[in-house]
Amino acid sequence: MKIGILSLAHLHAEAYIDNVRAVPGVELMGLADEDPARAEHFARQSGTPHFASYAHLLAARPDAVLVCSENARHRPLVEQAAAAGVHVLCEKPLATRVEDARAMVAACQQAGVTLMTAFPMRFSTPLLEIKKLLDAGHLGQVYACNSTNQGECPAHLRAWFVDPELAGGGALTDHIVHLADVLRWYLHSEVTEVYATANRILYGAEVTVETGGLVLLTFASGAIASIDCSWSKPPYYPTWGGLKLDLITEKGLVTVDAFKQVLTVYRQQQQRPAWAYWGSDANQAMIDEFVAAIRAQRPPAVTGEDGLRAVEIVAAAYRSVHSGQPEKL
Amino acid sequence: MKIGLVGAGLMGRTHAAAWAATPATLAGVVALEDGAAQALAAQAGAVVYPTLAAMLPHVDVVDICTPTYLHAAQVLAAAAAGKHIICEKPLALTMTDTAAMIAACEQAGVWLLVAQVVRFFPEYAAARHMVARGDIGTVAVTRLTRCGFKPARQNPQSWFHNPAQSGGMMLDLMVHDFDYARWLCGEVESVYARHIAPRFPQAAGDYALAILRHTSGAITHVEGGWAYPVPLFRTALEIAGSAGLIEHPAASSAPIGVYLHATEATDVETAVPASPLAEDPYTTEIRHFYDVLTGRAAPRVTAHDGAAAVQIALAAIESARTGRAVRPQEVTA
Repeated sequence: MKIGILSLAHLHAEAYIDNVRAVPGVELMGLADEDPARAEHFARQSGTPHFASYAHLLAARPDAVLVCSENARHRPLVEQAAAAGVHVLCEKPLATRVEDARAMVAACQQAGVTLMTAFPMRFSTPLLEIKKLLDAGHLGQVYACNSTNQGECPAHLRAWFVDPELAGGGALTDHIVHLADVLRWYLHSEVTEVYATANRILYGAEVTVETGGLVLLTFASGAIASIDCSWSKPPYYPTWGGLKLDLITEKGLVTVDAFKQVLTVYRQQQQRPAWAYWGSDANQAMIDEFVAAIRAQRPPAVTGEDGLRAVEIVAAAYRSVHSGQPEKL
Repeated sequence: MKIGLVGAGLMGRTHAAAWAATPATLAGVVALEDGAAQALAAQAGAVVYPTLAAMLPHVDVVDICTPTYLHAAQVLAAAAAGKHIICEKPLALTMTDTAAMIAACEQAGVWLLVAQVVRFFPEYAAARHMVARGDIGTVAVTRLTRCGFKPARQNPQSWFHNPAQSGGMMLDLMVHDFDYARWLCGEVESVYARHIAPRFPQAAGDYALAILRHTSGAITHVEGGWAYPVPLFRTALEIAGSAGLIEHPAASSAPIGVYLHATEATDVETAVPASPLAEDPYTTEIRHFYDVLTGRAAPRVTAHDGAAAVQIALAAIESARTGRAVRPQEVTA
């Protein structure tokens, strides 16, 4: 199987280069990027061919592509790939507007190609362990969840992350979707109402998008769940951020920390402790699943529809920030 | 200074032990349950009185450690007798009551000191001190957690389980963090809360999540619950500011944890967090109140603060009931 990468705007693309190469029988056939310098840089660094344009890469007939462009630029690339009959794994969030996400899902459906949303947390081993307990009924009904997906402000990684047009927003856009998706997956239930509040006190002088956000979701099952999506981990924190959830269930309390498997490292050069992650690579498991689903001609474990649902939740969160009241989905 | 204690339950016993660390004398004890008052009085060399009215002439300060629904009448009686008052949290069940209590104490010229003990827990006090000093810049996002098991769970008749007497978990427990959030970030403009009790009537535990928006623009997440298996009790705080971050406790847990009700012990009444300190926070609190009563300190928490915390809790309860975000000042009764 031949896989290409359309755009390296998202920093996850760098990790995916190695993940794709690690799958037996898969060839990383090439990269393309709107920024020729960036394409050339990553092509040289990784020893991968690079194409002059997305159209050129698609013309070379990959079986599948990874779309890692800026959030607002996912749609045209996914539509181009679908038109070329190529399967797609699209970076999260699937889109910045509900109508775009809907169009992407429809385009792939019509073309008969797979659309998978890059939600690696579905493949996180600590999260999967709890998923097994939930589905086996060992925890009973889930009543509530208190969750956080906080991170550092990503402005220094890629400037477009804090561009309201290209990113679609700030912390709400960046960090609601992972947990919204995990919770839908855990609860087998859809969100019916969203309350959200946001502010721009952190990095207030440096960025124009929201940097702090708190969200409270209500599910059809009756469960309630809060998500802290703030960029509240400072650049001098021991790691980039994290993803944690506490579940209050019929049978008790369950805590999950997706990135707890770390070494604490103190280095003279760094002058502050760092957490070095040694847990299993969820990105690798996600790429493995993408390939396996295409080979087996079955839907992937996490689909374009899952990405669309998460985009709908983010859109409702922004409506709530503006109205000051919960918004129905 | 002669202290008259009302209530000889867990909080009454805790306060009695704390008064022993001050020059004040525990002179009298009133309690609903005779046995408890007798034991406590015997230990302190105090007199047991059958009623608050009978004790009032014999003490200078009344320390009220009774169930919440009794606070208002007892504060009014003590104020009418010209006695200074220490009152356990939450100050009262309604804003009508808090207003009457504050007015009566102002008129009588007596102190009404509210035992919002979290302000005296060293980790909370230290974090507040750092924030007030500007160590982490302007506060943006705060997270506060206070979860344990159901108090008095062996006794379904306990006042804790009667919302008409305790105000329910969202008032009784979450008032600690509502007060702390306000102490940290200032007045609260709007509260949105969700509560599992009305959504899952069969649930054994009680649990709620609330999001506060402060007039400063800061936002606070408050988690409260009587939902854990015995004896688990956890508190946590995280304060993110424009120039720094404070976390407590320091992260040190396994990637997953499963705490099931099936494994719980059975003979625990109410959780009071234990931490090895030279002085427990209840003693710090009572010593501070002694200093206020003797003119040596300004109160760290005022009656107005106690009332404002109740108002935020009532707004959260109203939000959970109506599904709308609520402004605390809308809660007037």
